[in-house]
Amino acid sequence: MAEVHVIGQIMGATGFSESSLFCKWGVHTGAAWKLLSGIREGQTQVDTPQVGDMAYWSHPIDLHFATKGLQGWPRLHLQVWSQDSFGRCQLAGYGFCYVPSSPGTHQLACPTWRPLGSWREQLARAFVGGGPQLLHGDTIYSGADRYRLHTAAGGTVHLEIGLLLRHFDRYGVEC
Amino acid sequence: MAAGGPSVFLLMVNGQVESAQFPEFDNLYCKYCFVYGQDWAPTAGLEEGISQITSKSRDACQALVWNFPIDITFKSTNPFGWPQIVLSVYGPDVFGNDVVRGYGAVHVPFSPGRHKRTIPMFVPESTSKLQKFTSWFMGRRPEYTDPKVVAQGEGREVVPHRASPSVRTSHSMAAGLPAEHVKGPSPV
Repeated sequence: MAEVHVIGQIMGATGFSESSLFCKWGVHTGAAWKLLSGIREGQTQVDTPQVGDMAYWSHPIDLHFATKGLQGWPRLHLQVWSQDSFGRCQLAGYGFCYVPSSPGTHQLACPTWRPLGSWREQLARAFVGGGPQLLHGDTIYSGADRYRLHTAAGGTVHLEIGLLLRHFDRYGVEC
Repeated sequence: MAAGGPSVFLLMVNGQVESAQFPEFDNLYCKYCFVYGQDWAPTAGLEEGISQITSKSRDACQALVWNFPIDITFKSTNPFGWPQIVLSVYGPDVFGNDVVRGYGAVHVPFSPGRHKRTIPMFVPESTSKLQKFTSWFMGRRPEYTDPKVVAQGEGREVVPHRASPSVRTSHSMAAGLPAEHVKGPSPV
């Protein structure tokens, strides 16, 4: 079986209108992939930037996969939420990006979006908070039902991911 | 797949914690330590260190310079648990107590060669205003009992943090990898 090591960090996020952000992240793979070590999903701490507008999380990711096929290459899906001083959480954006397929260190900038809703919901969100959220999280990384959504842009999540591949040449795969 | 037994590879890291930029604080020192997985073990060099106390420079960039050496060699059989360097910066507050000014962590780079990294630092923050005031007053800020927690992913969601700016480290790395074992990143 070929093996893939994904080692890196979710560095932080920029461009969100809210401060005090945290990120729920997860890695989704196809059926041929098996997670040997590491934690597949998690949540970062809430960060409030003091200087500048980038919220830093520096959340480590260390995953070791074994795979029998290339289908279902790992995808990282992200949900950025903001937390206000009362402790309420509001969605700031959804995003996903594929884990790179060439070995080495990669800087990734993942754009995010959030569902808009009707004008009433937008008005309520501006004054009271809240706002529509996805019922099924897999819409974040699949294209199937996206045509039903009307969304607005969120900020960008910055990641630094390093990739180590092993035994791919035995199966005739060039990386 | 033939199980020829685990083969060992070495990772040598040397470099320095160069400097820091903390606009609000002065007279700081830093501690570093390494966090690594179960398959890793240090074979040479120091795993932890404490730097000198430094003051801000008088020029415009206001850098706090440590120039503090890092030198360690690891051996491992598995890239999982790749080492991270954890930095904690401490300094005096208004009353003279030693309080934590920031924690940060970064993975040791994967590719051989010279790398320069700027690490953002953050501090845990009390959630209630009363606790913020008493901790400022008493000099007992929220602090991690073990700084190595910063290098782990679990349990972070419960603690709110505040980010302050950054510590710069530069290090170079040489890795001895048996060629057939790990297909490492291609050299730059």
